[in-house]
Amino acid sequence: MTIWALPIAILITTTILAFPLSRYLAWIMDGKYRAPRALRWFEDRLNSGTQDWKLYVGSMLVFNTLLFIFGFLVLALQPLMPLNGDGKGMLAPSTIFHSVVSFMTNTDLQHYSGDQHLSNFSQIFFGLSNFFLSASIGFCGLVAIIRAFRSDTHLGNFFVDMWRVVVYMFLPIAFILGIVFVQQGSPMTFESSVQVSTLERGAMGTTEKGEPKQQSVVVGPLAAFVPMKQLGTNGGGFFGMNSAHPFENPTALTNFLSCVAMMLFPFGLVLMFGRMLKRLRHSYVIFSVMMVLMIGTVIWAVYYDALQPNPGLTSHPLAQTYEVPSATAPGGKRVVPVPAVAGLPVDQHLGNLEGKEMRFGTSAGATFAALTVDVTDGAVNAEHDSLNPIAALSPMVGMWLNCIFGGKGVGMINMLLYMIIGIFVAGMMVGRTPEYLGKKIGGREAKLALIALLVHPLMILFPTGFFAATDWGLKAESNPGAHGFSQIAYQFSSASANNGSAFDGLGVTNGFANNPAPAPEAVPWDIVTGIVIIVSRFLPIIAPIAMAAYLGAKKSAPFGLGTLRDDTATFGFLLLGTVLIIGALLFLPVAALGPLAEHLGPIPFGG
Amino acid sequence: MSKSIAKSLWLLLFAVVLCCVVYPLALWAIGQSVFPFQANGSIVKGQDGAPVGSLLIAQPFTKDEYFQPRPSAASYNGAASSSSALAASNYALRNRVATTLGPIVRYKDGSNAGKLVAPDIERWFQQDRFQGNPSIVLQWADAHNSLAQAWVAADTTHAGYVTDWTKSHVSVVAQFVKANPGTPQPQLSDLAVVFFETFSRENPGKFPSAVTHTDSAGKSTTAIEPVNGGTDIQSTFFDMWRTDHADVPLQDLPGDMLTTSGSGLDPHITLQNAEYQLDRVAAKWAADTKRDAPDVRAEIGKLLNEKAFAPFNGIAGEKLINVLEVNLQLRNRYGAPS
Repeated sequence: MTIWALPIAILITTTILAFPLSRYLAWIMDGKYRAPRALRWFEDRLNSGTQDWKLYVGSMLVFNTLLFIFGFLVLALQPLMPLNGDGKGMLAPSTIFHSVVSFMTNTDLQHYSGDQHLSNFSQIFFGLSNFFLSASIGFCGLVAIIRAFRSDTHLGNFFVDMWRVVVYMFLPIAFILGIVFVQQGSPMTFESSVQVSTLERGAMGTTEKGEPKQQSVVVGPLAAFVPMKQLGTNGGGFFGMNSAHPFENPTALTNFLSCVAMMLFPFGLVLMFGRMLKRLRHSYVIFSVMMVLMIGTVIWAVYYDALQPNPGLTSHPLAQTYEVPSATAPGGKRVVPVPAVAGLPVDQHLGNLEGKEMRFGTSAGATFAALTVDVTDGAVNAEHDSLNPIAALSPMVGMWLNCIFGGKGVGMINMLLYMIIGIFVAGMMVGRTPEYLGKKIGGREAKLALIALLVHPLMILFPTGFFAATDWGLKAESNPGAHGFSQIAYQFSSASANNGSAFDGLGVTNGFANNPAPAPEAVPWDIVTGIVIIVSRFLPIIAPIAMAAYLGAKKSAPFGLGTLRDDTATFGFLLLGTVLIIGALLFLPVAALGPLAEHLGPIPFGG
Repeated sequence: MSKSIAKSLWLLLFAVVLCCVVYPLALWAIGQSVFPFQANGSIVKGQDGAPVGSLLIAQPFTKDEYFQPRPSAASYNGAASSSSALAASNYALRNRVATTLGPIVRYKDGSNAGKLVAPDIERWFQQDRFQGNPSIVLQWADAHNSLAQAWVAADTTHAGYVTDWTKSHVSVVAQFVKANPGTPQPQLSDLAVVFFETFSRENPGKFPSAVTHTDSAGKSTTAIEPVNGGTDIQSTFFDMWRTDHADVPLQDLPGDMLTTSGSGLDPHITLQNAEYQLDRVAAKWAADTKRDAPDVRAEIGKLLNEKAFAPFNGIAGEKLINVLEVNLQLRNRYGAPS
């Protein structure tokens, strides 16, 4: 039973906290909060007046461009900046491009390792600034959509909205969490590393001079970094191994708080949506649908990973032979024998422990894996590459659906798209004009929703197919067979879902600009995933804002007998069905080629 | 447009000052003044006052007097955390676990209960039959080309041995080139499988391994030679031995002892793992301090139970031990290991 205690506690705690939080969020974003005079000065400085949707989106793009330039400068000038105790150089240009795009869009897919490649200055001024600002941008996108739905006379002001999100929401919570993190053991220093002589001198080996080697322990301003990484569903690790690293996640308590922190705002935003529209019951229905999907992914991951052994170490008594097409073999077919293997004497009652940390609890790795993709955080506290093959389907499905609470605002926006499509289809089936919030959904709105929705699969499937067929992908794979394909599919799913977790074995690290031995195909990976990230971030924010603006401009139809009610269980099932059917139609083939093939195929695969 | 740019600049300025300067500085002030130990990396000092490690970062131990942490895919490098990223379907994972197991695994039942399997692996290896077919090394190299290649690349002495072999087996190499026109000038790794095939035929029941000889003058030299026993054979061929003896009951080893962690720096092991190591640790300290083994064992066992803790008091997971913390206690209590 202990296995389920942790996920249940996380889900219940977050749900309870989300209610008061959503009330607070709506209160702030509706401008009912009167800031003290000192803080009002900042708002007045930032206020550029009321904006329509085009101006609002325009401001967002201008600000993002500025954020891109700023991030690029910080990383490119790293060798010249202070707080660089270990003298780290400049990253390869393509990696800088990729990292800046990735952090600016709340994706935080990392083709570098923070502990090896970034100075504390870069971690703070590049990482931390983007944590706050990129999360706020998605948040503001959702608020703009809500105001458009309400047919407000204007959408508010982008800059004021951003400021309010950062100052009144993220900062106070991050600060409180930061104190807990440092108390629990996360370092909070501007030093870069501490040199320690190991307890057993020379256990790390000896230097060329014959002296015992010291262990170099990288430290840094972790306690400021990590809470915001989680709260903003950013997920870009200070260390290469992210929240699996003992400084980034020192205890079971910080792991619990990391989970709650990343889910808190996605949960709260769904309820805020209902409060601001004064349709709280509608929000409950959406919340329930998301919760059903989330529970599904958690149970799947925990059952197949924490309750099942790692199949690589167990017995597979059936010897098999496979025939594979081969141009050189006689008869055009080559026979591949897969010998039987016996079980190794390993006690696996704690499930698959490869790539797991011990201190968080037995089911913590699998639980975190499911939650981090559902809310598109992308931090990891275990190695996803080493998850049991079938358990790895859970994080992949989370990224493919991309609407199980989802990132800051963006997940809720994606769910809106599914809703519009679902209502449109249902309306067509029963022969009634489809309506949402009393507004008729016309061809233009449905088209915009479809564009925003189809960007995601296109941006996953095309590059995955292309890379899987060429050296760009094949030379980057680190595991054989179907799992190698999964690595490629996972990387693009993560990029397109603006998630940021990865199957870390994939060779995509270019390293410093003067690295003599970068991963062979790192440059195409940097550039293509960078482009995928940009397209999959901005189209699904801009198109829905436009759609909401067009919809909001229409006259409200009176509530009638034929209106499809959006606050009933029926609507919930309609929504659930839409998500599952669209998701399955788009992604089942990838699932079959990747994790399912690995699970059903021979293990171990090849020599 | 220009208005947007101006406002964007203001927003960026305000946000950077607040989020990247004020916020971290405030936390830094609190951390350094209220929680200085944690804020600086939980660094603990040895008896001479020098920092020996961080309680949160695993470090390696090679001596038998100390408890061993989990294996590390990062080689315990505190500046480059890393996981193995090995998929379950990757034979490298199974091979890594099997090679660790070979020399240490024990029988579970019957008259052999508690005895090491290793001597039996050597005896089986010398018979040179696997699944009813002759030549174990040949079958091993055929089934696991990548392991054969890895052996050649592992060490300069290995590479040297194979280079010498190519010189004494010119005809075999020529035959390989004829059969593989794609590689007119084969590298050592291309020849790895052929090398083991030939080796297996010429040295049945043997495997190339490093042997150290000491001559009459006391000078020792290490060279690769065909051997029929030793750790290399016990570890490399344990998986195949196990396949031939699938039904023999063996003692299970704790899972966390054989798997690498997510960060490569996991500072904890399960209490179960520590208790598995307890016999070895206690026996060694008893020998060092010339005391009764059962007394020392009881003392260290008590220490383990005192130091054990579980995530959320056991609601979320099993009891754990911080390896450095316990080893530091042992070092302080019993002195330096011999």
